[in-house]
Amino acid sequence: MSKLRIGIFSFAHLHAEGYIGALRSLPDVDFIGFADDDRARGEHFANVFDARLFPSYEAMLDEGADGVVICSENSRHLPLIELAAKAKVGILSEKPLATTLADAERAVMVCDKAGVLLKVAFPMRFNAPAMEMHHLISSGGLGTIYAVNGTNQGECPHYHRAWFVDPALAGGGAIADHTVHVTDMLRWMLKCEPVEVYAEANHILYQDVAPKVETGGIVSLKFADGTIATIDCSWSKPPYYPTWGGLTMEIIGAGGLATLNGFGQNLNVYRHSNQRAGWSAWGSDANRAMLADFAAALRGDESRGASGIDGMRAVAVVEAAYQSIRIGQPVAVA
Amino acid sequence: MTLKIGLIGSGFMGAKHAAGWMRLVQLGYPVEIAGCLSLEPSTAVPLSETYGFPLVDSLDTLIGMSDVIDICSPTHLHHEQALKAADAGKQIVCEKPLARTVADAAEMVRVCEAKGVKLLVGHVVRFFPEYAAAKGIVERGDIGDPAVIRLTRCSFKPQSDRPDSWFHNPAYSGGMILDLMIHDFDYARWIGGEVTRVFARNIASRTQGGDYALVTLRHASGAISHIEGGWAYPKPMFRTGLEIAGSAGLIEHPVGRANPINVYLHQQADTSAPAIAVPGSPLLPEDDPYMVEIQHFYEVLVHDVSPRVTARDGLAAVRIALAAVESAASGHPVDLEGVGA
Repeated sequence: MSKLRIGIFSFAHLHAEGYIGALRSLPDVDFIGFADDDRARGEHFANVFDARLFPSYEAMLDEGADGVVICSENSRHLPLIELAAKAKVGILSEKPLATTLADAERAVMVCDKAGVLLKVAFPMRFNAPAMEMHHLISSGGLGTIYAVNGTNQGECPHYHRAWFVDPALAGGGAIADHTVHVTDMLRWMLKCEPVEVYAEANHILYQDVAPKVETGGIVSLKFADGTIATIDCSWSKPPYYPTWGGLTMEIIGAGGLATLNGFGQNLNVYRHSNQRAGWSAWGSDANRAMLADFAAALRGDESRGASGIDGMRAVAVVEAAYQSIRIGQPVAVA
Repeated sequence: MTLKIGLIGSGFMGAKHAAGWMRLVQLGYPVEIAGCLSLEPSTAVPLSETYGFPLVDSLDTLIGMSDVIDICSPTHLHHEQALKAADAGKQIVCEKPLARTVADAAEMVRVCEAKGVKLLVGHVVRFFPEYAAAKGIVERGDIGDPAVIRLTRCSFKPQSDRPDSWFHNPAYSGGMILDLMIHDFDYARWIGGEVTRVFARNIASRTQGGDYALVTLRHASGAISHIEGGWAYPKPMFRTGLEIAGSAGLIEHPVGRANPINVYLHQQADTSAPAIAVPGSPLLPEDDPYMVEIQHFYEVLVHDVSPRVTARDGLAAVRIALAAVESAASGHPVDLEGVGA
């Protein structure tokens, strides 16, 4: 079996840093390198990771690739998806798939027409505790699900990349950044679509470093089967929090209660060097499992990763949330 | 001169208040429970025997023998009892929720102000040390301006084969959102300031008498509160939590990390647990929130200390809770702006 040639498009998203190691660790994958429209950033990471930097996205495609992982700024996913689709190269796009529903629909359509694989990076589908919760719900262990109190809070990501707080590139602030993971998990676990969204947002946290976007938000969902849910997507963790943030769910079903802490497998670590508590994660690597699934999908094997349509459905919720904030009323999901 | 307390109700809260007043007696405060009016002899008789106060059979009698009427009756009865006590010029302690409707609560506030009697509302969460400590941290400015406030209060459904079954009649109790979540509506307002908009969804229509609601509050300050409340857990679970994210810091409670997965099933519930849940953390007797609350009431009543919870706070909490009930029913946010107390 020949190795799959997989590269990375852009280092705009910090997840690219983690993906390199994961791709290199997969036995059936040949990580061929990356391209970046930001020359300085590209050279920096080529040096850090001792990876090959292609002079352009086209150059990588011309040389031949089986798949690309797109880690550009959110609003720049679509042009890179179109480029890869044209070259008939399979795609794993960072989340959110796009900054507008129209762009997300176009991404799905373009890949569909080209007959190219489009997956979206929702690694929570490969998070071991979340998978156990998915199994519990799917097997009826909690009975009918009534309600989910979800959170995906974090520090303000501008510490990693400035574009996260630029509405033109990110599509918004905390809501664009942190609504989609829990939304996708709910669709995955409930096997049901959200039909109505209400949202409140504010701009009190991180005002100085994120002057143009909302930094606090609560998104309220209603699903077709009547399940209610909220997602706290706030950047409400301070930059000196023991870790970047977290993802939690409290799930109320007819059978009882289940709680999920998606990032609860940590060691408490105290270092003289930084004089504060830190959490060091020791759980399974969901990103690596997601990339292995992408490789399997490229080979035509069964895949359980999120599809382009899954990515698009999550974008529809984000768009409805922003619409709800504008009009102050619940909004039907397009 | 001894402060004479006339207690109404001998249920769960009546017993808590009786214990609080009796602790003051033990500590040598000039206070006594003059008598108790209760419709429920199964709880009233043992309580009167434990503490040695008489049971009376009319509100007029109780008012006649008391300086303070302490109302621990079912919610829908607060209004009439408070108005009668105020009319007689008696000071009033009233369990939360202040009343079953906004109109009732507003009238209670108005009449008590007109009559010059104090109306102290039992929003005991403000006396829980962890909640009081968090408030203190916010007040000191340690975490900057509150931005996102998350409050949780979930237990099992209070048992219905007890005299407390009025809980389960929304006409009397207002249901879980008014009876239980009002604690956190009051606390959210204490932290985040006046509430201007309320959005709620709940699951009452899908459960047998239980409920669980997720409520978003918008504050005039711009802060957002997320309030989770429920009578949906397996017995004997009761969990409370608070998280206050501010422009300059974060408060989290409880401290510590949850397991990756926890599952609590109704079929594994401990049915022998008490009928009603109260959250608790081991504390010395002098720090028991109900004791601290009663002691504070005494200081307000006798020494005119300014109350930690005003009657208008009690009214505002009812207003928020009933807006949540309305929002859950209509599916739309409810605006509280421009509504005067």
